[in-house]
Amino acid sequence: MAEGLHAKWVAVYVQTPEHLRLPDSERDRVEHTLRLAEQLGAETVTLRGARVSQEILSYARTRNVTKIVVGKPLRSRLKELVFGSVVDDLVKGSGEIDVYVITGETAAGRPLVPRVFRRTSPWSAYGKGLGVVALATGISVATVPYLSQSNMPMVYLLGVLLVAALWGRGPAVLASVLSVLSYDFFFVEPHLTLTVSDPRELVTFAVLLVTALVTGTLTVMIREQADAARQGEQRTAALYAMSRELLTYHRVANLASVAARHIQQLSNSHVAVLLPDVEGHLTLQTGEETAFVMDAKDAGVAQWVLDHGQRAGLGTETLPDAGALYLPLAASRGVIGVLAVRPDQPRRFLAPDQMHLLEAFANQVAAAVERVLLAEDAQRAQLTIETERTRNAVLSAVSHDLRTPLATIVGATSSLLEESGGIDPKGRKGLLQAAHDEAIRLDRLVNNLLSMTRVEAGALAVEKEWLPLEEVVGASLVRVEDRLGRRVVSTELPADSGLVLLDGVLIEQVLINLLDNAIKYTPADSPIDLSAEVTKDTLNVEVADRGPGIPPGDLERIFDKFYRAAAAGAPGVGLGLSICRGIVEAHGGRMWAENRPGGGAVFRFALPMTGGPPRPEAVLAEPRHAS
Amino acid sequence: MPTQEKEPTPSQQSAAVLIVDDEAPIRRFLRTTLTAQGFRVFEASTGREAIAEASARTPDLIVLDLGLPDLNGLEVTRQLRAWTSAPIIVLSARNQEQDKVAALDLGADDYVTKPFGVGELLARIRVALRHMARSNGDVGEAIFSCGDLRVDLARRTVFVAEREIHLTPIEYKLLTVLVRHAGKVLTHRQLLQEVWGPHHTEDAHYVRIYVRQLRNKLEPNPAHPRFLITELGVGYRLRTNEDRQTA
Repeated sequence: MAEGLHAKWVAVYVQTPEHLRLPDSERDRVEHTLRLAEQLGAETVTLRGARVSQEILSYARTRNVTKIVVGKPLRSRLKELVFGSVVDDLVKGSGEIDVYVITGETAAGRPLVPRVFRRTSPWSAYGKGLGVVALATGISVATVPYLSQSNMPMVYLLGVLLVAALWGRGPAVLASVLSVLSYDFFFVEPHLTLTVSDPRELVTFAVLLVTALVTGTLTVMIREQADAARQGEQRTAALYAMSRELLTYHRVANLASVAARHIQQLSNSHVAVLLPDVEGHLTLQTGEETAFVMDAKDAGVAQWVLDHGQRAGLGTETLPDAGALYLPLAASRGVIGVLAVRPDQPRRFLAPDQMHLLEAFANQVAAAVERVLLAEDAQRAQLTIETERTRNAVLSAVSHDLRTPLATIVGATSSLLEESGGIDPKGRKGLLQAAHDEAIRLDRLVNNLLSMTRVEAGALAVEKEWLPLEEVVGASLVRVEDRLGRRVVSTELPADSGLVLLDGVLIEQVLINLLDNAIKYTPADSPIDLSAEVTKDTLNVEVADRGPGIPPGDLERIFDKFYRAAAAGAPGVGLGLSICRGIVEAHGGRMWAENRPGGGAVFRFALPMTGGPPRPEAVLAEPRHAS
Repeated sequence: MPTQEKEPTPSQQSAAVLIVDDEAPIRRFLRTTLTAQGFRVFEASTGREAIAEASARTPDLIVLDLGLPDLNGLEVTRQLRAWTSAPIIVLSARNQEQDKVAALDLGADDYVTKPFGVGELLARIRVALRHMARSNGDVGEAIFSCGDLRVDLARRTVFVAEREIHLTPIEYKLLTVLVRHAGKVLTHRQLLQEVWGPHHTEDAHYVRIYVRQLRNKLEPNPAHPRFLITELGVGYRLRTNEDRQTA
């Protein structure tokens, strides 16, 4: 309402002397209600005074309040005590202030207390009890010639015991009373009347009745204890089953659905796990299998549970008119979330033992969720450390690799500038050559860094064209020609590979990097094999060398940025391969490395080929002609 | 880059080169190098200055950086081509293939990617000047040779290692265009225009397919060409003996 009017609102509680006489639970409830109001955006005020309506009105005037909303007192004792018949007084004295009277909490909103006295046995059980008494009477009548009269109550007692053991307390009580009556009717003088001639028989009746009731009750108690033990065992088993299953998952969402499933089976309820997100707002964690819907009020209750670490909602003393029960997930580092349970049949579910059981489940879930959260924290910390380490590696690699060539260039050129005839022409040429080579290396490094940046930023514009494969291979071989030295690069391309769909400039760079890599990491005279094959929908290319190969543990890591194989003493920052992979992946392909049978490394990449290349029929239909 | 410098040809002795670059160190090193090679050198640091200098000095060749502070290098090329046919060699950064192609299609003669060796630049300059001289009336050589490859334009015969190669008319036409511009890069569009005529300038795959056929006939290993070089993203270049030395 306040939101609808865009107004500020104040929740007021007037503490009258009666307040002190309220039971603790009711006082708590007032506190909780006020706190909830606070969470819902209200300012809360507690006033002290004997006359509720007067206090409210004078406070309202000091604050320029325009509207007063008051709950209509129903049978609620709290409302009676807090407001009494204040509504009338309030309306009379309000003057210019509007007073809204709304329906307050209804009886359904009161804490639901399980009924202690309930008929637990079906009517048929009473019928059976009746039958057993009849049977006992029959047996007694049949055995009159053989037994003394004092044996008869024993037969009835046996029947009562049987009824108690089989059908419970009610039928047992019925059977006890009936037994006394039957005994009186059939076996006590005068027969076939309920009158008793000998007053001593009354003692027999009393003893029979008490004995029947006591044995019946004891039997029922034993049975109930056995039932409780069995139930307890079942619950323990259910708890254990859930705990065990929780252990097998490592994601909070999985935990939430496991918990939901187990608790649902046990209590016929909808269950959800709520965890705070980064901003502290509770969010549902459960998968799609539970349709757990929360309205704003429920969300408020859940938030309260998270903040206070106490259970609330349906079946508790706090905010009991919520649609569901909210239990805190209390872990070693505080409340980490909320377990929400919305029973299908609220009355049957809210027995105290059920509540305890749910709390036990909540504790298990809390422990499991905390375990996962801690693991995630540890992982995040690890990731941060690794990111930091990578960043440092990048900085040191880049600065080292930029400085080394610069040092040579500056050194060589300055010594040439400052020399006064001491360097012979050969030495001079050597210095110049060194400066030149280092400058070229620097250029390559800068290019790699730029390419890497573009790959990283996803800024690679892949412009695919249908090209003859040997054109790309040829162009890259020409580009590395002067670095090959004595090496032989043997190429094995399909005889008529047709056209392949790729970005020539980028794939040329991949091939150049792979060839450069082979040149760098293998002996000066070892051969390099470049081969390719085209299948229906894939182009497979491989560059293989006969060098030392790659340590098996490094096969994947060599594609990491700034990673350089441990054994390699070769210069470079370790960007070449990750650029290659970036380019190949930007083509929708994949790239990997293997060790070659017989020694050496092989780098393979596969690019998807879709559609057919253009066939310029008209041009190809040229007549053969010897020129 | 170590280069085996040839004796400058007489026409080069007095050739005037206009260097257009906004970076003073680059202008300085180009001036030093080109002066030492016998060229007369003028400089400009902006596009407008370049156009003014070009009309005032009428240089025989222009070395033009594409990244100028005022006018786009492409725009400078367009304006220069409106009135001068002096060869233009473009200086560009890597990853600028589209700019290179645009400059070449606008009439630039060749390009060099920064950073470049002087040998490479001088080779491009020589090819451009030679080509210029030829189109001004000098009779080109009737026989082109590069390594094992020999093309006799008068007799219309092609030999690789003394073995005669038979070409289809289009393959031969393509080869003669490349020979006529030997040493110079030709874009797909330029090749299409010269071989197939002005109506096929978008069909780049024609060129690719014929270049491949030509390579299959001329190159010992088409996947590692020695004569017909692909400049990916730009076009093709037929190597000259001089290129083979400086590469």
